Amino acid sequence: MFVRCLYSTEQTKTKCLKINAVQQKLMQQFLLKKGDFSKFVNTAIKDSDFVAPVEGSREKQNTRPFFREISSADEIYLGRKSYYTVKGFFFRENEKIFGFNGNKIINPESELKDTIYFGLRRCDLNGIYHQDIVFLDENEDPFYKARRDASLLIGYHCREGDDYCFCNSMELVDFFDLMFYDKGENYAVETGSEKGNSFVKKYSKFFTKADNAVSDEDRKTVNRKKLNTADIKDDYDNDDWKKGSDICVSCGACNFLCMNCHCFDFEDDVEFDLKAGSRIRKPASCQLRSFTRVAGNHVFRNERNARFKHRIYHQLQYFRERHNVQFCTGCGRCIEGCPVRIDWVEIINEMKK
Amino acid sequence: MPKPKVGFYDLTGCQGCLLSVIFNENEILDMLSKIDVKEFRFIMDEKYSGKLDVCFVEGTVVNKEDEKVLGKLRERSKILVALGACACHGNIPALRNFADEKKLDYLKYEKKHEQMQDMEKPMPIAKFVNVDYSIPGCPPDRDEIKKFIKEILLGKEFRNYSDPVCRECRLFENGCLIDDGQICLGPLTKGGCHAVCTTNGFKCYGCRGVTDDANFEGYFRLLEEKGKTDVQIKKHMETFAGIEINEKLKDTEWQQLH
Repeated sequence: MFVRCLYSTEQTKTKCLKINAVQQKLMQQFLLKKGDFSKFVNTAIKDSDFVAPVEGSREKQNTRPFFREISSADEIYLGRKSYYTVKGFFFRENEKIFGFNGNKIINPESELKDTIYFGLRRCDLNGIYHQDIVFLDENEDPFYKARRDASLLIGYHCREGDDYCFCNSMELVDFFDLMFYDKGENYAVETGSEKGNSFVKKYSKFFTKADNAVSDEDRKTVNRKKLNTADIKDDYDNDDWKKGSDICVSCGACNFLCMNCHCFDFEDDVEFDLKAGSRIRKPASCQLRSFTRVAGNHVFRNERNARFKHRIYHQLQYFRERHNVQFCTGCGRCIEGCPVRIDWVEIINEMKK
Repeated sequence: MPKPKVGFYDLTGCQGCLLSVIFNENEILDMLSKIDVKEFRFIMDEKYSGKLDVCFVEGTVVNKEDEKVLGKLRERSKILVALGACACHGNIPALRNFADEKKLDYLKYEKKHEQMQDMEKPMPIAKFVNVDYSIPGCPPDRDEIKKFIKEILLGKEFRNYSDPVCRECRLFENGCLIDDGQICLGPLTKGGCHAVCTTNGFKCYGCRGVTDDANFEGYFRLLEEKGKTDVQIKKHMETFAGIEINEKLKDTEWQQLH
């Protein structure tokens, strides 16, 4: 994977730059005719599972785009950034961690097929990059790793952001196997990994080599919204946070729509013989009271305001202090998906005025 | 360990909750092999008047007779469980609490008042006796019933699902009914129902009761912005968990609304 160097310590910086120099050489550019696009997708679908954004479906009472496994290129919808993220494919609700029968541990069997994820925006890809830091670098999570190993990430570049996103304000990196840029008659395609290169080789009849197909101008995204990214370390006690937390209805939508949020809870489920069962992992939300409830019914962040601040500080402060990378990718889904449309970006901008 | 003696009883209600117990077709035999069912009128004729380890009670207390039956059940039971929205929150039978009595005057002329129950305000069972556990919902979720029985058998403390309906709604990638301008009680209501109503396009009526940290003020503000009137919101909220919501909003203007 091509990841622009972000690490601040000298040692990691040198190492990172070396890796980047090697990776830079890997990067190749191609053109794919739009007329061939459907054929290309339909061919790829025959070889692997293919996940892409689709328009909302009536059966789901949902008019907003979301990712799903598709069976034909006609289903793909690239008109706008998807409302629901691709996160659920990697980090699942009710993931069986292990089964048990008496004292015997039974590891869950998985039949993973190679999956192509298409139409990921830069914010989605960076979200996966952050999930990798948590689930692969910090402590390796075998379930996440298996899914990531079986995945090929294909990006689709946003020319223009919507009313909610502010990705230009965040430190995003180039992280993809392939990246598609809309160039009128063609798609310019850039590879970002060995995996991406072999993918292009496999479907070489659709791709024509074209150096300099992607210009710096192509890589830009126009954003209407901006976040003042000045340090918020000393603003913890600012009263302005209440502007958000007072109207928050504690539904957790911001967490579940966020590409980065990765907190989870465990639950044990037993069979009626009371001997066999399984341990299950499910996504949790730091905006809900249950999140910090511990034995004795003690709740660490009982106030809504404390929970609200915790989310923003995790997005902008804590993760960066720990991993040198800004966590939030500026997709704005937490604002768009919030029933109240709490605009924390505006709250911070006001605070910093 | 001897099997716990369990009874399933009903007060005034539709008895759908008891059906939720026996609708666990795949596991009902396993379940019945672990507990000693002493009375359950849907599946057996026997009556039982001895002591019970676990007593499930469904329905609302609407008259003195219900109150008497409930009191006796409490005396006989170690663990008493409120099963379903009626037992937990009053549900539809408790709508009478919010009825305009003048509108019921016609019953007098039709000589139907004699048939009316002697208790004016139907109430959830916790108003009359001490309730150890609640399994809310109209009907209660059959997985939660199974989970409850297993945890009791294991000697564990049963923990209700406390996150709002919105959690499951978002995980199932549903559209947001509030965004669509509907009075959906999702953000205020405890989930664990697999968001069954909202996933099928029906707004949430709050049958599983109010979450621990519901922000009513924020919710009213949100719906008012969407053009909903207080009376519309109140009517919607009273349907299933009206008594609980009324108590939470005690001494506010809310109670004067009609």
